[in-house]
Amino acid sequence: MKNDVKAFWTLMLIIATLWIGGCEAPSFIKAAQFEETDRIVLTFAGPVDPAWAEDRDHFTVNEKPDPDILLDIASVRLSPDQSRLTLTLADPINQNQPHQVVVKEIVSEGRNMGTQAVTVSKPYFGYLISILIGALLIQNFVFSKYLGLCVFFGTSQKKSTAVGMGITFTFVIVFASLMSWFLYQFVLKPYRLDYLQIIVFIGLVSLTVQAVDTVLRKINPALFKAFGVYLVLVIANCIVIAVPLILADNEYNMIESLMLALGAGLGFLLALFLMSSVRERLDFANVPTSYRGLPIAFIVAGLFALSFMGFSGMSIF
Amino acid sequence: MDPLYIKLALGGIALLACIGLFFGIGLALAAHKFAVEINPKVEAVKEVLAGAQ
Repeated sequence: MKNDVKAFWTLMLIIATLWIGGCEAPSFIKAAQFEETDRIVLTFAGPVDPAWAEDRDHFTVNEKPDPDILLDIASVRLSPDQSRLTLTLADPINQNQPHQVVVKEIVSEGRNMGTQAVTVSKPYFGYLISILIGALLIQNFVFSKYLGLCVFFGTSQKKSTAVGMGITFTFVIVFASLMSWFLYQFVLKPYRLDYLQIIVFIGLVSLTVQAVDTVLRKINPALFKAFGVYLVLVIANCIVIAVPLILADNEYNMIESLMLALGAGLGFLLALFLMSSVRERLDFANVPTSYRGLPIAFIVAGLFALSFMGFSGMSIF
Repeated sequence: MDPLYIKLALGGIALLACIGLFFGIGLALAAHKFAVEINPKVEAVKEVLAGAQ
Protein backbone atom coordinates (compact mmCIF):
# COMPACT_ATOMS: atom_id res chain seq x y z
CA MET A 1 0.00 0.00 0.00
CA LYS A 2 2.75 2.42 1.00
CA ASN A 3 4.64 1.54 -2.17
CA ASP A 4 1.58 2.30 -4.25
CA VAL A 5 1.31 5.79 -2.80
CA LYS A 6 5.01 6.40 -3.41
CA ALA A 7 4.75 5.20 -7.00
CA PHE A 8 1.72 7.43 -7.56
CA TRP A 9 3.52 10.55 -6.33
CA THR A 10 6.63 9.73 -8.35
CA LEU A 11 4.45 9.43 -11.45
CA MET A 12 2.73 12.74 -10.67
CA LEU A 13 6.13 14.40 -10.20
CA ILE A 14 7.34 13.11 -13.56
CA ILE A 15 4.16 14.31 -15.29
CA ALA A 16 4.46 17.73 -13.61
CA THR A 17 8.10 18.05 -14.66
CA LEU A 18 7.29 17.15 -18.24
CA TRP A 19 4.35 19.55 -18.24
CA ILE A 20 6.37 22.46 -16.86
CA GLY A 21 9.24 21.61 -19.15
CA GLY A 22 6.91 21.73 -22.15
CA CYS A 23 5.55 25.19 -21.32
CA GLU A 24 6.69 28.32 -23.13
CA ALA A 25 6.26 32.01 -22.56
CA PRO A 26 3.35 33.40 -24.59
CA SER A 27 4.53 34.77 -27.91
CA PHE A 28 2.82 36.65 -30.74
CA ILE A 29 4.43 34.23 -33.18
CA LYS A 30 2.39 31.07 -32.73
CA ALA A 31 4.32 28.69 -34.95
CA ALA A 32 7.32 28.56 -37.22
CA GLN A 33 8.16 25.68 -39.51
CA PHE A 34 10.18 24.73 -42.56
CA GLU A 35 8.39 24.26 -45.83
CA GLU A 36 9.81 22.70 -49.00
CA THR A 37 13.58 23.26 -49.21
CA ASP A 38 13.99 27.02 -48.92
CA ARG A 39 10.99 28.42 -47.05
CA ILE A 40 10.16 29.27 -43.46
CA VAL A 41 6.50 29.85 -42.61
CA LEU A 42 5.60 31.98 -39.59
CA THR A 43 2.10 31.92 -38.14
CA PHE A 44 1.05 34.92 -36.06
CA ALA A 45 -1.61 35.07 -33.34
CA GLY A 46 -3.39 37.91 -35.17
CA PRO A 47 -3.33 39.81 -38.48
CA VAL A 48 -0.17 41.82 -39.14
CA ASP A 49 0.21 45.03 -41.12
CA PRO A 50 0.95 44.33 -44.85
CA ALA A 51 3.05 47.50 -45.15
CA TRP A 52 5.23 46.35 -42.25
CA ALA A 53 5.56 42.86 -43.70
CA GLU A 54 6.78 44.18 -47.04
CA ASP A 55 9.99 45.59 -45.57
CA ARG A 56 12.60 42.85 -45.76
CA ASP A 57 14.79 44.53 -43.12
CA HIS A 58 12.33 43.48 -40.42
CA PHE A 59 13.43 39.85 -40.70
CA THR A 60 16.73 38.14 -40.10
CA VAL A 61 17.38 34.42 -40.38
CA ASN A 62 20.47 32.60 -39.14
CA GLU A 63 21.55 29.09 -38.26
CA LYS A 64 21.45 28.81 -34.50
CA PRO A 65 25.13 27.93 -33.95
CA ASP A 66 26.32 30.91 -36.11
CA PRO A 67 24.40 34.04 -35.11
CA ASP A 68 26.85 36.22 -37.08
CA ILE A 69 26.09 34.74 -40.47
CA LEU A 70 22.72 36.06 -41.64
CA LEU A 71 21.11 34.17 -44.49
CA ASP A 72 19.87 36.04 -47.58
CA ILE A 73 16.10 36.43 -47.81
CA ALA A 74 14.83 36.34 -51.38
CA SER A 75 11.21 37.31 -50.79
CA VAL A 76 8.60 37.85 -48.09
CA ARG A 77 4.98 37.01 -48.78
CA LEU A 78 1.94 37.54 -46.57
CA SER A 79 -1.11 35.30 -46.93
CA PRO A 80 -4.52 36.92 -47.71
CA ASP A 81 -5.72 36.55 -44.10
CA GLN A 82 -2.59 38.45 -42.99
CA SER A 83 -1.61 35.93 -40.31
CA ARG A 84 0.73 33.64 -42.25
CA LEU A 85 4.03 34.90 -43.53
CA THR A 86 6.30 32.97 -45.90
CA LEU A 87 10.01 33.81 -45.97
CA THR A 88 11.74 32.46 -49.05
CA LEU A 89 15.52 32.25 -48.72
CA ALA A 90 18.00 32.64 -51.55
CA ASP A 91 19.63 29.26 -50.87
CA PRO A 92 18.21 25.91 -49.73
CA ILE A 93 18.07 25.55 -45.93
CA ASN A 94 20.04 22.93 -44.03
CA GLN A 95 17.01 21.64 -42.15
CA ASN A 96 18.99 19.40 -39.81
CA GLN A 97 20.22 22.56 -38.11
CA PRO A 98 17.82 24.63 -36.00
CA HIS A 99 17.40 28.15 -37.39
CA GLN A 100 16.68 31.36 -35.54
CA VAL A 101 14.30 33.91 -37.02
CA VAL A 102 14.25 37.42 -35.50
CA VAL A 103 11.16 39.47 -36.35
CA LYS A 104 11.59 43.16 -35.52
CA GLU A 105 8.92 45.62 -34.38
CA ILE A 106 5.87 43.58 -35.36
CA VAL A 107 2.91 45.84 -36.22
CA SER A 108 -0.54 44.31 -35.76
CA GLU A 109 -3.74 46.32 -36.23
CA GLY A 110 -1.86 49.58 -35.57
CA ARG A 111 -0.22 48.31 -32.36
CA ASN A 112 3.49 47.62 -32.00
CA MET A 113 4.06 44.11 -30.60
CA GLY A 114 7.83 44.51 -30.18
CA THR A 115 10.70 42.37 -31.46
CA GLN A 116 10.43 38.61 -31.15
CA ALA A 117 12.70 35.69 -31.95
CA VAL A 118 11.67 32.12 -32.73
CA THR A 119 13.61 28.96 -33.32
CA VAL A 120 12.60 26.83 -36.28
CA SER A 121 13.56 23.18 -36.23
CA LYS A 122 12.39 19.93 -37.72
CA PRO A 123 9.66 18.21 -35.68
CA TYR A 124 11.61 16.27 -33.06
CA PHE A 125 9.38 13.20 -32.94
CA GLY A 126 9.67 12.86 -36.69
CA TYR A 127 13.43 13.16 -36.37
CA LEU A 128 13.48 10.28 -33.88
CA ILE A 129 11.34 8.13 -36.17
CA SER A 130 13.62 8.96 -39.07
CA ILE A 131 16.66 7.77 -37.06
CA LEU A 132 14.82 4.53 -36.24
CA ILE A 133 13.61 3.83 -39.78
CA GLY A 134 16.94 4.99 -41.17
CA ALA A 135 18.87 2.39 -39.16
CA LEU A 136 16.18 -0.24 -39.74
CA LEU A 137 15.64 -0.01 -43.51
CA ILE A 138 17.39 2.79 -45.36
CA GLN A 139 20.85 2.27 -43.91
CA ASN A 140 20.31 -1.34 -42.82
CA PHE A 141 23.53 -2.43 -41.15
CA VAL A 142 23.67 -5.79 -42.90
CA PHE A 143 22.41 -4.99 -46.38
CA SER A 144 23.78 -1.50 -46.96
CA LYS A 145 26.76 -1.23 -44.62
CA TYR A 146 27.82 -4.92 -44.88
CA LEU A 147 28.52 -5.24 -41.15
CA GLY A 148 28.03 -8.33 -39.00
CA LEU A 149 28.17 -10.72 -41.94
CA CYS A 150 29.82 -13.65 -40.13
CA VAL A 151 27.05 -13.99 -37.58
CA PHE A 152 24.51 -13.20 -40.28
CA PHE A 153 25.55 -16.18 -42.42
CA GLY A 154 26.26 -18.39 -39.44
CA THR A 155 22.83 -18.17 -37.85
CA SER A 156 20.46 -17.72 -40.78
CA GLN A 157 20.04 -21.38 -41.72
CA LYS A 158 16.86 -21.95 -39.75
CA LYS A 159 14.07 -19.50 -39.02
CA SER A 160 13.94 -20.36 -35.32
CA THR A 161 17.63 -19.78 -34.69
CA ALA A 162 17.56 -16.63 -36.79
CA VAL A 163 14.74 -15.09 -34.78
CA GLY A 164 16.40 -16.16 -31.51
CA MET A 165 19.65 -14.54 -32.52
CA GLY A 166 17.91 -11.37 -33.69
CA ILE A 167 16.02 -10.90 -30.44
CA THR A 168 19.09 -11.61 -28.29
CA PHE A 169 21.06 -9.18 -30.38
CA THR A 170 18.48 -6.39 -30.09
CA PHE A 171 18.42 -6.93 -26.34
CA VAL A 172 22.19 -6.70 -25.94
CA ILE A 173 22.78 -3.84 -28.36
CA VAL A 174 20.27 -1.56 -26.64
CA PHE A 175 21.87 -2.16 -23.24
CA ALA A 176 25.42 -1.89 -24.50
CA SER A 177 24.92 1.26 -26.55
CA LEU A 178 23.09 3.09 -23.79
CA MET A 179 25.92 2.25 -21.41
CA SER A 180 28.60 3.31 -23.84
CA TRP A 181 26.68 6.49 -24.65
CA PHE A 182 26.63 7.36 -20.95
CA LEU A 183 30.30 6.59 -20.49
CA TYR A 184 31.29 8.52 -23.60
CA GLN A 185 29.27 11.64 -22.78
CA PHE A 186 30.08 11.87 -19.10
CA VAL A 187 33.54 10.34 -18.75
CA LEU A 188 35.45 9.95 -22.02
CA LYS A 189 34.57 13.29 -23.59
CA PRO A 190 34.94 15.63 -20.58
CA TYR A 191 38.33 14.14 -19.60
CA ARG A 192 39.58 14.03 -23.20
CA LEU A 193 39.98 10.26 -23.09
CA ASP A 194 38.09 9.63 -26.34
CA TYR A 195 41.19 8.04 -27.87
CA LEU A 196 40.27 5.02 -25.72
CA GLN A 197 36.74 4.71 -27.09
CA ILE A 198 37.21 1.48 -29.06
CA ILE A 199 38.76 -0.39 -26.13
CA VAL A 200 36.16 0.89 -23.70
CA PHE A 201 33.24 0.06 -26.01
CA ILE A 202 34.49 -3.46 -26.70
CA GLY A 203 34.89 -3.98 -22.97
CA LEU A 204 31.38 -2.71 -22.28
CA VAL A 205 29.85 -5.00 -24.90
CA SER A 206 31.50 -8.10 -23.49
CA LEU A 207 30.61 -7.09 -19.94
CA THR A 208 26.97 -6.58 -20.96
CA VAL A 209 26.88 -9.98 -22.59
CA GLN A 210 28.43 -11.59 -19.51
CA ALA A 211 25.96 -9.82 -17.22
CA VAL A 212 22.95 -10.81 -19.33
CA ASP A 213 24.27 -14.37 -19.43
CA THR A 214 24.66 -14.57 -15.64
CA VAL A 215 21.36 -12.96 -14.76
CA LEU A 216 19.28 -14.74 -17.39
CA ARG A 217 20.62 -18.16 -16.44
CA LYS A 218 18.98 -17.75 -13.04
CA ILE A 219 15.93 -15.61 -13.74
CA ASN A 220 14.59 -17.15 -16.93
CA PRO A 221 16.20 -20.51 -17.74
CA ALA A 222 13.75 -21.13 -20.59
CA LEU A 223 14.76 -17.92 -22.36
CA PHE A 224 18.40 -18.66 -21.58
CA LYS A 225 18.11 -22.02 -23.25
CA ALA A 226 16.43 -20.40 -26.26
CA PHE A 227 19.26 -17.85 -26.55
CA GLY A 228 21.76 -20.68 -26.11
CA VAL A 229 25.07 -20.14 -27.81
CA TYR A 230 23.96 -16.96 -29.65
CA LEU A 231 24.31 -14.81 -26.57
CA VAL A 232 28.07 -15.35 -26.63
CA LEU A 233 28.16 -14.98 -30.41
CA VAL A 234 26.90 -11.40 -30.08
CA ILE A 235 30.38 -10.35 -28.92
CA ALA A 236 31.76 -11.42 -32.29
CA ASN A 237 29.32 -9.18 -34.15
CA CYS A 238 30.69 -5.89 -35.42
CA ILE A 239 27.36 -4.03 -35.49
CA VAL A 240 27.48 -4.04 -31.72
CA ILE A 241 30.70 -2.02 -31.79
CA ALA A 242 29.71 0.11 -34.81
CA VAL A 243 26.66 1.59 -33.11
CA PRO A 244 28.50 3.11 -30.10
CA LEU A 245 31.12 4.56 -32.44
CA ILE A 246 28.40 6.14 -34.60
CA LEU A 247 26.75 7.53 -31.48
CA ALA A 248 30.02 9.05 -30.35
CA ASP A 249 30.67 10.58 -33.77
CA ASN A 250 27.21 12.11 -34.18
CA GLU A 251 26.88 13.45 -30.63
CA TYR A 252 23.40 11.94 -30.28
CA ASN A 253 21.48 12.45 -27.05
CA MET A 254 20.05 9.58 -25.06
CA ILE A 255 16.71 9.14 -26.82
CA GLU A 256 18.34 9.43 -30.24
CA SER A 257 20.90 6.81 -29.17
CA LEU A 258 18.13 4.51 -28.01
CA MET A 259 16.40 4.89 -31.38
CA LEU A 260 19.57 4.14 -33.35
CA ALA A 261 20.36 1.08 -31.22
CA LEU A 262 16.80 -0.18 -31.51
CA GLY A 263 16.84 0.41 -35.27
CA ALA A 264 20.14 -1.43 -35.65
CA GLY A 265 18.90 -4.38 -33.58
CA LEU A 266 15.53 -4.66 -35.32
CA GLY A 267 17.22 -4.18 -38.70
CA PHE A 268 19.49 -7.14 -37.95
CA LEU A 269 16.48 -9.17 -36.83
CA LEU A 270 14.69 -8.29 -40.07
CA ALA A 271 17.72 -9.19 -42.17
CA LEU A 272 18.14 -12.53 -40.39
CA PHE A 273 14.44 -13.35 -40.73
CA LEU A 274 14.35 -12.56 -44.47
CA MET A 275 17.54 -14.49 -45.11
CA SER A 276 16.50 -17.56 -43.13
CA SER A 277 13.12 -17.70 -44.89
CA VAL A 278 14.92 -17.84 -48.23
CA ARG A 279 17.56 -20.32 -47.08
CA GLU A 280 14.94 -22.72 -45.72
CA ARG A 281 13.43 -22.85 -49.20
CA LEU A 282 16.80 -23.08 -50.89
CA ASP A 283 17.30 -26.43 -49.19
CA PHE A 284 14.60 -27.87 -51.46
CA ALA A 285 15.61 -25.97 -54.56
CA ASN A 286 17.60 -27.44 -57.39
CA VAL A 287 20.88 -25.58 -56.87
CA PRO A 288 23.98 -26.54 -58.91
CA THR A 289 26.30 -28.63 -56.74
CA SER A 290 29.15 -26.17 -56.64
CA TYR A 291 26.82 -23.39 -55.46
CA ARG A 292 25.17 -25.33 -52.64
CA GLY A 293 25.40 -23.94 -49.11
CA LEU A 294 27.31 -20.75 -48.51
CA PRO A 295 27.92 -19.59 -52.12
CA ILE A 296 24.23 -19.40 -52.99
CA ALA A 297 23.63 -17.70 -49.63
CA PHE A 298 26.08 -14.96 -50.60
CA ILE A 299 24.30 -14.51 -53.92
CA VAL A 300 20.94 -14.26 -52.15
CA ALA A 301 22.39 -11.71 -49.72
CA GLY A 302 23.63 -9.69 -52.69
CA LEU A 303 20.13 -9.72 -54.19
CA PHE A 304 18.70 -8.56 -50.87
CA ALA A 305 21.28 -5.77 -50.76
CA LEU A 306 20.25 -4.72 -54.27
CA SER A 307 16.60 -4.59 -53.28
CA PHE A 308 17.45 -2.63 -50.11
CA MET A 309 19.16 -0.09 -52.36
CA GLY A 310 15.64 0.88 -53.36
CA PHE A 311 15.36 2.58 -49.97
CA SER A 312 18.54 4.59 -50.42
CA GLY A 313 18.27 8.35 -50.57
CA MET A 314 14.78 8.25 -49.11
CA SER A 315 14.08 10.74 -46.38
CA ILE A 316 11.20 10.66 -43.96
CA PHE A 317 9.90 13.90 -42.46
CA MET B 1 57.52 15.03 -22.73
CA ASP B 2 54.48 17.28 -22.65
CA PRO B 3 52.84 16.94 -19.23
CA LEU B 4 49.44 16.89 -21.00
CA TYR B 5 50.25 13.53 -22.63
CA ILE B 6 51.34 12.04 -19.33
CA LYS B 7 48.11 13.28 -17.77
CA LEU B 8 46.04 11.73 -20.59
CA ALA B 9 47.89 8.42 -20.36
CA LEU B 10 47.49 8.23 -16.58
CA GLY B 11 43.84 9.23 -16.94
CA GLY B 12 43.32 6.39 -19.41
CA ILE B 13 44.92 3.85 -17.10
CA ALA B 14 42.83 5.12 -14.19
CA LEU B 15 39.63 4.97 -16.26
CA LEU B 16 40.23 1.42 -17.47
CA ALA B 17 41.14 0.33 -13.96
CA CYS B 18 37.96 1.91 -12.59
CA ILE B 19 35.74 0.28 -15.24
CA GLY B 20 37.45 -3.06 -14.67
CA LEU B 21 37.08 -2.84 -10.91
CA PHE B 22 33.47 -1.64 -11.04
CA PHE B 23 32.26 -4.28 -13.48
CA GLY B 24 34.46 -6.97 -11.96
CA ILE B 25 32.87 -6.47 -8.56
CA GLY B 26 29.44 -6.08 -10.13
CA LEU B 27 29.73 -9.31 -12.11
CA ALA B 28 31.15 -11.18 -9.13
CA LEU B 29 28.22 -10.07 -6.97
CA ALA B 30 25.78 -10.94 -9.76
CA ALA B 31 27.35 -14.37 -10.18
CA HIS B 32 27.07 -14.88 -6.44
CA LYS B 33 23.48 -13.68 -6.20
CA PHE B 34 22.23 -15.45 -9.31
CA ALA B 35 24.29 -18.59 -8.80
CA VAL B 36 22.83 -21.70 -10.43
CA GLU B 37 23.63 -25.09 -9.05
CA ILE B 38 25.21 -27.26 -11.69
CA ASN B 39 25.74 -30.93 -11.05
CA PRO B 40 29.54 -31.40 -10.82
CA LYS B 41 29.15 -34.86 -12.35
CA VAL B 42 28.20 -33.27 -15.69
CA GLU B 43 31.60 -31.60 -15.91
CA ALA B 44 33.38 -34.77 -14.79
CA VAL B 45 31.67 -36.87 -17.46
CA LYS B 46 32.45 -34.26 -20.12
CA GLU B 47 36.12 -34.34 -19.14
CA VAL B 48 36.29 -38.08 -19.66
CA LEU B 49 34.42 -38.12 -22.97
CA ALA B 50 36.32 -37.61 -26.20
CA GLY B 51 35.56 -34.30 -27.89
CA ALA B 52 37.49 -32.70 -30.71
CA GLN B 53 35.26 -29.62 -30.96
